[in-house]
Amino acid sequence: MSLTRRLLVAAAPILSLAPSLALAAPAPAFSVKDADGKTRSLSEFKGKTVVLEWVNEGCPYVKKHYSGNMQALQKAATADGVVWLSVVSSAPGEQGYFADGAAAKKWAAANKAAPSAILLDPDGKMGMAYGAKTTPHMYVIDKTGQLVYQGGIDDKPTNKVEDIKGAKNYVTAALADVKAGRKPVVAVSRPYGCSVKYKA
Amino acid sequence: MIARLSRLLGALGVALGLSLAAPALAAPVNTGHIEADLVARDSWAVPGSTIYVAVTQKIDKGWHTYWRNSGDSGEATSIDWTLPAGWTAGDIVWATPHRQPTGPLMNYGYADKVVLPVPINVPVSAKPGETVTLKADVLFLVCADICIPENAKLELAVEVRDEAPEPNWRTGRLVADALTAAPKSAGLDAVFQASEAGLKLAVTGAPLKGGQFPEAYFFPFDGTLIDHAGKQTVEAGPDGVTLTIPAGVALKSGQIPEDVGGVLSIGDQAFEIVAKAGTMPAAAAGMGVPAAKAPSGGGGGSDGVALAILFAFVGGLILNLMPCVFPVLSMKAASLAGHAQDPREARTQGLAFLAGVLVTFLALAGALIAARAAGQAVGWGFQLQSPAVVGVLSLVMLLTALNLSSVFEVGTSVQGAGQGLASKNGLAGSFFTGVLAVVVAAPCTAPFMAPAIGVALTQPAIGSLAIFLFLGLGLAAPYVAISFSPALLRRFPRPGPWMDVLKKVLAFPMYGAAAWLVWVFSLQAGSPGLALLLACALVVAFAAWLFGLSQRQATPRLRWMAGGAAVLTAVAVIAVMIPLAKGGAAPSAGSVTSEVASAELASEPWSPERVAALRAEGRPVFVNFTAAWCVTCQVNDKVALSTQPVADAFKTANAVYMVADWTNRNAEIAQTLAEHGRAGVPLYLVYGAKGGEAVILPQLLTPGAVTEAIEAAALR
Repeated sequence: MSLTRRLLVAAAPILSLAPSLALAAPAPAFSVKDADGKTRSLSEFKGKTVVLEWVNEGCPYVKKHYSGNMQALQKAATADGVVWLSVVSSAPGEQGYFADGAAAKKWAAANKAAPSAILLDPDGKMGMAYGAKTTPHMYVIDKTGQLVYQGGIDDKPTNKVEDIKGAKNYVTAALADVKAGRKPVVAVSRPYGCSVKYKA
Repeated sequence: MIARLSRLLGALGVALGLSLAAPALAAPVNTGHIEADLVARDSWAVPGSTIYVAVTQKIDKGWHTYWRNSGDSGEATSIDWTLPAGWTAGDIVWATPHRQPTGPLMNYGYADKVVLPVPINVPVSAKPGETVTLKADVLFLVCADICIPENAKLELAVEVRDEAPEPNWRTGRLVADALTAAPKSAGLDAVFQASEAGLKLAVTGAPLKGGQFPEAYFFPFDGTLIDHAGKQTVEAGPDGVTLTIPAGVALKSGQIPEDVGGVLSIGDQAFEIVAKAGTMPAAAAGMGVPAAKAPSGGGGGSDGVALAILFAFVGGLILNLMPCVFPVLSMKAASLAGHAQDPREARTQGLAFLAGVLVTFLALAGALIAARAAGQAVGWGFQLQSPAVVGVLSLVMLLTALNLSSVFEVGTSVQGAGQGLASKNGLAGSFFTGVLAVVVAAPCTAPFMAPAIGVALTQPAIGSLAIFLFLGLGLAAPYVAISFSPALLRRFPRPGPWMDVLKKVLAFPMYGAAAWLVWVFSLQAGSPGLALLLACALVVAFAAWLFGLSQRQATPRLRWMAGGAAVLTAVAVIAVMIPLAKGGAAPSAGSVTSEVASAELASEPWSPERVAALRAEGRPVFVNFTAAWCVTCQVNDKVALSTQPVADAFKTANAVYMVADWTNRNAEIAQTLAEHGRAGVPLYLVYGAKGGEAVILPQLLTPGAVTEAIEAAALR
């Protein structure tokens, strides 16, 4: 990663929230511990499509999609060779914070969640670098490391489970486009959900 | 005849049925954090017309719901209608939203209370005489730190009648006011230019002509257009404003919309606008960033400053008569008495006092201007919003009082000064008296002074410092005048034992001031802090006595006692500072309240929404902006507001007494003070029963003035 980018990422928390990222630009690098305590960074997934999903287990919108929808997306994507990273940017004491990796894994097991990894970002650095605003907030990064989709999970910004049926899922669509070698038709949408519980 | 009778009976039945059923149907529903209700503007529905009903939300303190574009997170309130055949519901008429920052994010929505009217089309086929039920399944997302979806199933019975509609006697005003207040397009022209960097939006038109609008803010309907948390920069022009807004995700990725719709809020008014792409009109810019809102009456120009300087001087003079300055007056009186027979010494002392006043005024003003530039909602007297400052000040007052009681001496004694011995210590004492006068007196904004400070805070630094300078000159003027007037000085009696008696008498106002500050402190820091402060006061008093003892002994071997006493004093002061700096330095607003309400007059805590609601009910409202550390406020409370005639006037007028307590920092109160051109308390606002602008009462109240104002408010 270039020096400027490194500086930008480091400065992100100071500059409050890096506003939404430009598209078709390299996705910001990150280096965050996962639920197993292993440090994961974007560079290790080079050559693979990556989905980032911001999550807060207590948020009604997350609960809506974890009624089965999110798990199904995770299973389908990872079966297709996609790396699915669920990111928790809740600060200690805030809703959705996991005290340790074990707590995160316990939640995942209880909900039959199937991401490739759960990244723990309690200081919010990764969230700020990406400008993650809501839970869920979805990002798709293509094999070359370009950010090709960011926004909501679908086009029905409600917290009603019954609205999943009949909603257009932007992540599914973006993944299909990326697989076919196209730029996603909808590259940007409005993320919806609870605010990410960054440290105040 | 029989037909007519049956129709009458039918009508009676409907009326009876309504009277029995209506309360049950219209009962508010509590969903957990919201009390929701469905209310009507009109008493009945006329076939082929449009009626307005509204969903009302009473939202728990600290929680909020969302506007149609909820900002970075959240979800707008939605209504799922179940209506009789042929009846159709239109879109919600959204009230102007408020900004709700959450961490680094920005949301748009409502706190406390909101009324959301909805137009309902009544079909021509609706039958007069029938009563229909409107059912609304309302989904609120209500959030504090966390979000909870809450659901209310609301119902409203509406009677169909074939006669001209009348407003609903109970809820008609509420809905009508919400419709009036909702942002509308007012013939404004709006043009935008968008790029990946951001959005430039120029709005021109009659309502914006000649205005400044530093608080202008654009709420877009689209949630992807702008960076909601980004700063919107305002530039004023002769016919309107230009806003520069950082780009949101859509603009960043090059998706430029055909038109940009949203609500432009200019502080107290809001307009719906639809902007078309085009070139920026020159009439919407070129006058720079508007200054913070100028007070009504005082202009923002140089005339305004000149007038403000005059007001500041007069205000400073009057400040000498304010109750909060009395204790410091006593120090000055004691010192004047001592120097009266030596004109040269009196002049030097007077100038030292003047220097103390001016330096402190400028230092305080500088700190205040800097704090406001940094975006803090502070006002005049802000230093007394910090318990640490109040605690230390109470100890200083105690020490001063002990000094006047001759427990110990500082520098030359009064007797010594009387013999014409000048000393550096004496000058320092006069300077310090000036400092103390300003620190304690500043929060009591006197008449004339309030608008001056209001203007001062809207000026560039030089202008505001000039205003503060004249405030200080006004405060110091009487002493300087006396000390420079041999004729006046000659009227003072010759020095003698009477001076010692006077000095000791004047110690008591200082003890009073210390006691008052301790009381203020107890409201800010609670009883654990109070215990700590009282312990410190004890140690300080003991140290002062030890110091005095060592002064009287005057034996070199006892000098260690003075050192020991000084150390003890330092320890005591540090002991106050550390816990306060750690914990109690900034108690949250509303966590403590001063007991300013009197026994006779029941009060409600102030909130702008509550004021709006009470005005909607047609009740006069009296708002008392006060603080425990504002002595003028306390005096007014006791002298005017706590009297029986005032209580009776409130009762007769069905007026509501509201207290906005500024003892601790509160941005909302600071903003409201600023809107009325004030930077500090007291401020008394009286809203009339029939709407219209609030009347500002003088800063020194009499029971008669309050009674008259309330009686007038009931009629206007």
